[in-house]
Amino acid sequence: MTALQAALLLTLGCMISIATLARPVSYTGGWTVIEESDRQSSALLVHYTPAHQWSVGPRIEVNRDDDFALYTVQPTWLAKRWFGADYQGNLYFHGGIGIASGINDNPHTDQVAVYGGIMADWETRSLFVGYRNRYVEAGHHASQFMQAFRAGFAPYEGDSGDLHTWLMVEIDHRPSDPDSVAATPLVRFFKGPLLVEAGYNLTANQPLFNFTYRF
Amino acid sequence: MNLLIKDIVTITAFCLCLPAMAQEHHDHGNHAEDDTHEHHGHDHQATDTDQAAHDGHHAAVGPVLTRTEDIESALADGGEPIVADVLGVVCDFCALAMNKIFSKREEVAAIYVDLDTKALNLVLAPGASMSDQTIADLAVQAGYRIADVRRGDAALGSAS
Repeated sequence: MTALQAALLLTLGCMISIATLARPVSYTGGWTVIEESDRQSSALLVHYTPAHQWSVGPRIEVNRDDDFALYTVQPTWLAKRWFGADYQGNLYFHGGIGIASGINDNPHTDQVAVYGGIMADWETRSLFVGYRNRYVEAGHHASQFMQAFRAGFAPYEGDSGDLHTWLMVEIDHRPSDPDSVAATPLVRFFKGPLLVEAGYNLTANQPLFNFTYRF
Repeated sequence: MNLLIKDIVTITAFCLCLPAMAQEHHDHGNHAEDDTHEHHGHDHQATDTDQAAHDGHHAAVGPVLTRTEDIESALADGGEPIVADVLGVVCDFCALAMNKIFSKREEVAAIYVDLDTKALNLVLAPGASMSDQTIADLAVQAGYRIADVRRGDAALGSAS
């Protein structure tokens, strides 16, 4: 990887952050751009939904802590959706396969990388709880597990097309990190096809800015 | 490493518990996913009808058409009004998905997904028709389920 590529990826990584659990499968025929970031890495996923139960798309992730990037294709499967008049619950399985490359003078050679995990959420118009995890195997670049729990509420219930506001907190657990548990309070704004989140990781002292756009 | 294994075991247990938790919710709820499927069957239909008759307002059960500017315009053109109760429609992404899927259909003259009433509001083009099954199938493409469909006067809330 060239220095220019690394600089571009890092710039991307600084600009974007993680939109955790923001509906990783869309409607049939829909496209979605999800920019993700957390205290360890930043990523961009563009996915297409051929059928309402699964999506697939390219994903780029920059791991700032360990100086490598993942170039993968990520399928996501909506294994189950629970419906109610006032709630929705979802269980997803996601995975990825591709290449891990060193950045920032990381001397390690390219490696095949795979990852997989689950996401689950349950929400009403005013309450949200969600959980996700992922295990990444990227050879000598990394073998990492993470999990995160999120809960939030909406102070008011907006109708279609209104600005929806959510106040949330995310607790993430990364066993391989010196600060294995961290908390991030955040605010989510939601309007039409755009979802934006801004927060601050209290443990790592890092700002958070996420967005998802659905076409 | 032990911690990692412990984490994975915990998460797996969580996953295994989710369906059971959801099933429990089904058992006590009136509008869970399995109920949706049965709404297309005769047994559940009869139950709903009996309850509606008991309540004395069979044709007006559920929310009526939400009248936006587009809806009013399409009604003025003579299109058939339809109100479909949607399960799981809790956010703007849900509304967007329904809008995208239904708006592609030439039979649809106007659409509005009302999160307050959890209803898909449609007015068809004059002379066009759309079956309940088609509406249900399109909702599935959007990722959701239809619990009930009302048409005409029942959708307008003007049925006797």
